[in-house]
Amino acid sequence: MGRYVIRRLLQFIPTVLGTMFLLHYLTSLAIQFSGNPVRALFGDRTPSPALLEAITERLGYGDPCLDQKGNPCFGMFLDRLQGIFLNFDFGINLRQREVTDLVADAIPFTLKLLVIAIVFEAVVGIAAGVLAGLRGGSFADYTVKISTVFVISVPIFVLGLIVREFVGVEFGNVLRGQSWIPDVISTGVFSPGFKPDYPWASLIIPGMVLGATSLAVTARLTRTSIMENIRADYVRTAKAKGLTTKRVIGVHTLRNSLIPVITFLGVDIGAAMAGAVVTETIFNVPGIGRLVTMSARTGESSVVIGVVTMLVLVVLVANLLVDLLYAVLDPRIRYE
Amino acid sequence: MRGKFLKVAVAATATAMLATACGGGGDDNDDSAGQSGGTLRVYNSEPAFLTPSGGDDEPSLYVIRSLYRGLVKYNAESSAVEMDLAESIESDDQKLWTIKLKSGYTFDNGEPVNADSFIRSWNFAAYSPNGQNNGYFMKRIAGIKDVQSTDPDGDGPQKAPEPAAKELSGLKKVDDTTFTVELEAPFSGFPTTVGYPGFFPMAEACVADILACSEKPIGNGPYKMDGSWQRNVAINLVRSDSWNGEPGKPDRIEYRIFADIDAGYAAFQAGELDVLYTVPPARYKEAKATYGDRMHEQPGDSFTYVGMPVYQDNFKDKRVRQALSLSIDRQSIIDAVFDGRFTPATGFVAPTFEGARNDVCKYCTKDVEKAKQLLAEAGGWPAGEKLILWANAGAGHDQWLQAVGDQIKEALGIDYELRVNLQFAEYLETADQKKFTGGFRLGWGPDYPFMETYLYPLYGTGAGSNNSGYSNPEFDAAMKEGDSADSIQAAIPSYQKAEDFVGEDLPVIPMWFNKVGALYSENVDQFVWNAVSDADYAAISLKQN
Repeated sequence: MGRYVIRRLLQFIPTVLGTMFLLHYLTSLAIQFSGNPVRALFGDRTPSPALLEAITERLGYGDPCLDQKGNPCFGMFLDRLQGIFLNFDFGINLRQREVTDLVADAIPFTLKLLVIAIVFEAVVGIAAGVLAGLRGGSFADYTVKISTVFVISVPIFVLGLIVREFVGVEFGNVLRGQSWIPDVISTGVFSPGFKPDYPWASLIIPGMVLGATSLAVTARLTRTSIMENIRADYVRTAKAKGLTTKRVIGVHTLRNSLIPVITFLGVDIGAAMAGAVVTETIFNVPGIGRLVTMSARTGESSVVIGVVTMLVLVVLVANLLVDLLYAVLDPRIRYE
Repeated sequence: MRGKFLKVAVAATATAMLATACGGGGDDNDDSAGQSGGTLRVYNSEPAFLTPSGGDDEPSLYVIRSLYRGLVKYNAESSAVEMDLAESIESDDQKLWTIKLKSGYTFDNGEPVNADSFIRSWNFAAYSPNGQNNGYFMKRIAGIKDVQSTDPDGDGPQKAPEPAAKELSGLKKVDDTTFTVELEAPFSGFPTTVGYPGFFPMAEACVADILACSEKPIGNGPYKMDGSWQRNVAINLVRSDSWNGEPGKPDRIEYRIFADIDAGYAAFQAGELDVLYTVPPARYKEAKATYGDRMHEQPGDSFTYVGMPVYQDNFKDKRVRQALSLSIDRQSIIDAVFDGRFTPATGFVAPTFEGARNDVCKYCTKDVEKAKQLLAEAGGWPAGEKLILWANAGAGHDQWLQAVGDQIKEALGIDYELRVNLQFAEYLETADQKKFTGGFRLGWGPDYPFMETYLYPLYGTGAGSNNSGYSNPEFDAAMKEGDSADSIQAAIPSYQKAEDFVGEDLPVIPMWFNKVGALYSENVDQFVWNAVSDADYAAISLKQN
């Protein structure tokens, strides 16, 4: 087990370095082909060369390799690595703020959003899946099947915009007109976006939107898996032994059925981060996703590289944890 | 529709108001001015810097104008210059200006607002190693070249040498409340420029740690920070006790920060905001229908033009440029593409400006016959060559530029091609290097309410934003005459003369000026829009109930 973990951790190194170089190269190319982002800060007012140069230098876009199209800027990459790994310095954005500060500001919001999304999709998804799986062909089964197809087929940005317009604004306004409804519901939960006065309540609906697609997949996975395992030999044995239904379903069927679901939820953390890029922008959540979107738009390479590198690490660690969880859930799996 | 939350907030702040009202006792009891008190919640995007030397973007300026005050302010309707912290700004030769300050003003940390605080702020902005965006605005002050230095070989990584001087030689302190400003050349409009936030004073503690000061600004205006800047979330301001001038109307101003205007519009619809200073273009019609009486519309001052590369052979003859301009029906494009949100330009200076005239451009209304005739006189357009129209990518300019191209093609039979693949940064660099091969879209917004701001930077020989490469000695002479006129008013005829040269030569084809469209909520009693500095949050009063 220990050796397995170490081996996996060692595999992180080339993955992270590879991602970083790719991002570095892409953002450098973006600057080489679309111009110095510092010039865009001034817009129609042409700054004096001295001022433009001073600010370009300060923000770290002064390297001459950024003027040569296609140059991979190895020197800059090495400086960057040195900064990140030796001094924990991810550089600054166009507004001279440390990337680490930006991330520290944004991460609490994204974590809250992810917790809501994952809890929502795990609890509701697994419950719906179990309900549908145990009684295939029943009304509950059809309800789950139809509603999940509907959710999967709607892209998240469409769902987000519809929810913001009709749930946050229209339905919310109806609620806000009723004085008997507590404020935390009418102006908090049903706010069309994140609201600093209600840091948790106003994130519930964005979190549900973020978790919606994965919820549908979770429900379907659980359903199929339960249907398969309910006919498995060991479940029949357990029933024949005379165990209670609770124990047969809870320990023998569900536990084994959850392996693919857990895999999916683990991988899904990465996908949820990607979904957060969309959801956070629509619902104005000041988290990591919105940060990356804005930085990519303005060409702030240090922010994009820093944040995406951190995201890569999150995905890697999540996947490792999922793999380790297999061993806990399925006694047949052992890591050497 | 108002939630209970707001009522509680209003009640709480109303109590606070009673406490401060005794101390005020000012003469602001103008019956039409509206009551003071309440919390004003406004839309904003994330500012770049909350310091006078650094913030030059719209969201920064909106906050800075509430936190800081400068030498002058602008009249909300007439945009005339009124003294704010200055007692007087005078000059005999328009070159050496003497500024006298009112005494008794302080920063939030207790430091006095005196001559030093202005000199300190301007020097800090101008010194290029400080990398302050508003260093651009110090360009007129004598000694600017000595505080800015460039990299000798032009292209890093070698660092630019230390500038020759640390301070502008043109700024001199006379006594605590008096200082003099010497300009590189006479400029009659100098008093109008210093109302721009780049010229606001800064405390010593602020300059000592500029990034900390941006996080928790030390202002000198009617409002101060309530807590620090909640990045990407909110900026809350409360009344500042140290302010001695005319107090602001709301007790609190809360800036909610949004990443995009659509999310802001949704928040406004849900009653979370009192002022939304702009409306998403796609929702303009809907907003006007829904909030008609609570939508504030007035002519704006942001100018859109199609620049002409006068440095290119095809565009050298002014009759070609006149013919192109005559082929465009501006109003039809505005109606079809922009839901009528703009005003067609008939001159080069915003209609809201003193000295602006209606009919400066004689070639700005559609007249196909005259266009054909002028083009023929100029020898026609080279056969088989396409007219290239440039715009920056991803900013939604393709649609109207295509309409322009279609109209020119229909009127003059010149085929056109759109080039809309450059990102903004590269687009601006192309403009700086004068490498456009055809008409190019650009815009301009005034920095101060003085005609000159629309003229010299765009058309003066060798001026910073003169992307057309236009050069006309007569224009330059008229501008100079205006710059050294005795007063702001006396300068206007000279500038009008200069504008006439531009109207005849057409180095750019004027397209339109924007219209302001701001929304305000039912909680707002009196909405105030300043013709120069836009939504004036300190002057907006709220209903009390």
